[in-house]
Amino acid sequence: MPRAIRGVLVECDPAIKSIIVNIDSDNHDYIIEELDEERVVIKENMVAALKAKLEERLAENHPDDESGSE
Amino acid sequence: VVDQIRLWQLENERMKTTVGFLFKEFEDHKEYLAIAGFAEEIGVLVWRSDKTGMFFASKHEQIRDYLRIRKKAE
Repeated sequence: MPRAIRGVLVECDPAIKSIIVNIDSDNHDYIIEELDEERVVIKENMVAALKAKLEERLAENHPDDESGSE
Repeated sequence: VVDQIRLWQLENERMKTTVGFLFKEFEDHKEYLAIAGFAEEIGVLVWRSDKTGMFFASKHEQIRDYLRIRKKAE
């Protein structure tokens, strides 16, 4: 019998996916399965926490000095 | 600051989430193809990979029933 694992399919661009993988690498408590370059399955109860962490990382990736350097 | 917030929202919109079930570890590729095909037929298939033999479905009840019927028929 195959296994059926409850979770949330996240479809995003490869850049976002790599950030998710990076966030998960600390404790491995978000990702259930990496499917491909643009898809991961994550634990249902971790979606909100992951989104919050993602916002944090994205904020870090857009520092003020980048836009002001022109 | 406004531009930054807009940028983050854009990033979030690039992320789509679907609640459901990941099906994996089928006995063989034939079983995988049959079950993935069934999931597609009843309209619960969200994503499939014939290469890795896994698929994601939005519901699992009908698939579970179908698996049981298949097992009995063997």
